[in-house]
Amino acid sequence: MSTVIEQIEQQIAKLQNKAVKKNTGTIRTVADGVARLDGLSDAMYNEMIQFPGGAMGIALNLEEDEVGCILLGDVSKLKEGDEVHTTGRLLSVPVGKALLGRAVDALGNPVDGKGPIASTEFYPVERIAPGIIARKSVSQPLFTGIMAIDSMIPIGRGQRELIIGDRGTGKTTITIDTIINQAKINKVGLASGDPKFRPVYSIYVAVGQKQSNIVRTITSLEEAGALEYTVIVAAPAADNPANQYIAPFSGASIGEWFMENGMDALIVYDDLSKHAVAYRQISLILKRPSGREAYPGDVFYLHSRLLERSARLDGKGSLTALPIIETQAGDLSAYIPTNVISITDGQIFLETDLFNQGIRPAVSVGLSVSRVGSSAQIKATKQVGGKLKGELAQFRELAAFAQFGSDLDAKTKAQLDRGSRIVELFKQPAYNPIPIEQQVVTLWAMQKGYYDSLDLKKVTAAAVSLRGFFATRKDALLTKIRTKAALDAEIEAELKTAIDEWKATYNA
Amino acid sequence: MAANKKAQQLARQLFKLSIVDGAISAERVSGVLGYIEKTQPAHQLTVLKSYHRFVAAELAKSQAIVEHAGAVSASILQTIAASMTKKYGRTITASTRANPKLLAGLRVRVGDDVYESSVSGQLGALAASV
Repeated sequence: MSTVIEQIEQQIAKLQNKAVKKNTGTIRTVADGVARLDGLSDAMYNEMIQFPGGAMGIALNLEEDEVGCILLGDVSKLKEGDEVHTTGRLLSVPVGKALLGRAVDALGNPVDGKGPIASTEFYPVERIAPGIIARKSVSQPLFTGIMAIDSMIPIGRGQRELIIGDRGTGKTTITIDTIINQAKINKVGLASGDPKFRPVYSIYVAVGQKQSNIVRTITSLEEAGALEYTVIVAAPAADNPANQYIAPFSGASIGEWFMENGMDALIVYDDLSKHAVAYRQISLILKRPSGREAYPGDVFYLHSRLLERSARLDGKGSLTALPIIETQAGDLSAYIPTNVISITDGQIFLETDLFNQGIRPAVSVGLSVSRVGSSAQIKATKQVGGKLKGELAQFRELAAFAQFGSDLDAKTKAQLDRGSRIVELFKQPAYNPIPIEQQVVTLWAMQKGYYDSLDLKKVTAAAVSLRGFFATRKDALLTKIRTKAALDAEIEAELKTAIDEWKATYNA
Repeated sequence: MAANKKAQQLARQLFKLSIVDGAISAERVSGVLGYIEKTQPAHQLTVLKSYHRFVAAELAKSQAIVEHAGAVSASILQTIAASMTKKYGRTITASTRANPKLLAGLRVRVGDDVYESSVSGQLGALAASV
């Protein structure tokens, strides 16, 4: 009997002493976050390469007798001649609900000092976007809480809507507002106990931003109680370009986990211009041929493969993307803006002039468009805001025309007056999203001419007062509008009574 | 930069000329060295360094370097050479190199591939996983 045991033990010993095979190479050069390596004849594309001292690399250029790879982690101790080896793994990041409320770097390591992340699942950073069959068209709304957007440029779950504008026009603010609004809706929805309610989790990817800006964003989210539904992926300006290049893909993987597990998620890429610049830097150092504006030839593919990962899946969840692009002096026809405009399902264009005139959010209605979102708009918003975009476009045209002449007919004057009231109505302070039912009330009052008798400068204050009145006194009616999502004769009658009641008490 | 590329190309051409029946020929190598000395191509040092790198990498492919911490018998060396020859489909000769840093066991290096069965390798893997 003992011989049998010995035999088994021998077999086990054989396996335990099995040699481990590694494919190795040596460092030839290390410069600017990129290493060129000799050897590594078995390296695969995008494979992780282990460097001494814990640093990692990703093989991006496989050439005849050398490998070009980007470096992640501490590279200060690397020197020429050091041995590296392949790992047989692709770069992966932790995913799951354990990341909510946390700030991580491009590799999924926590950077918020709140201890390790208890996540058991990992997703590769580079994944192929869902195919045609797995997808479903966009038909559910994603409310941003910004009246100008929800009523005229609606966004649906699974849509990619670009936010574009010059520096300092409030691009980030719009996305933060949207994240805060999702948190507010989540809290109300989860408290209501409705089994059909689908919360939206948010991922905010900061690429090439100042650390102080990221801290400010986190603080605003925390103050608004939205951080518990949000994951922050940070690759600040001080990070090496490889981390800045990887961060949006890591964020997309974190978002895909929610999507594939039947949940809805929203991802903000802030911003893709800096992402393209980081990729350009890497490509130039890797000696890849450069094209227009010195960007490499595959910069379109870089963004298309990233944004294609946002989708609405049949029988599963969705991932909505809000990429941000910063333009220079309002130039929409530059290389990266045109690329991303063509990939996304619409854009929200923010104008410096409007911002400086005090129209905030500075959404340019004429240049902004949502290609798929209108099918996701709720009926109530369509009823009250269906004609708004056209009316505002007419107003802009007339306003430009009216500058040259003082003699205007009564109809034109009325149109101008109405237009300027709509513009006033859409003014909204930062980090103060308005629930959709409140938006419906505000716009309904506008349609019925309740603000017409007011002085133009007092329209915004009146709308705020109306919403305050409804929030404190007419909660039941608001809930009815939210749940029915449409205005019928009964609700309209109730609305009329309520607004008349407000009008009687309101002192302009 | 362009000159460097040209030197690399020349080195690669000379390297290809040095191979006869899939193996480096000593005769051809001395011929190539004689040619370089005679013609004095531009960036001679770069050409020679690149040529050296290509030839060394090619030679390493048919050589199994067995690093060891303890003693290695001739029969083990022979077995390693035979199994590597079978695995790679080309004649591979084995040579030894003492490496006390391994603590115990062997490390076999054939070209870029490293087969590790040593205590230091296992300790390294353990340290990396913690």
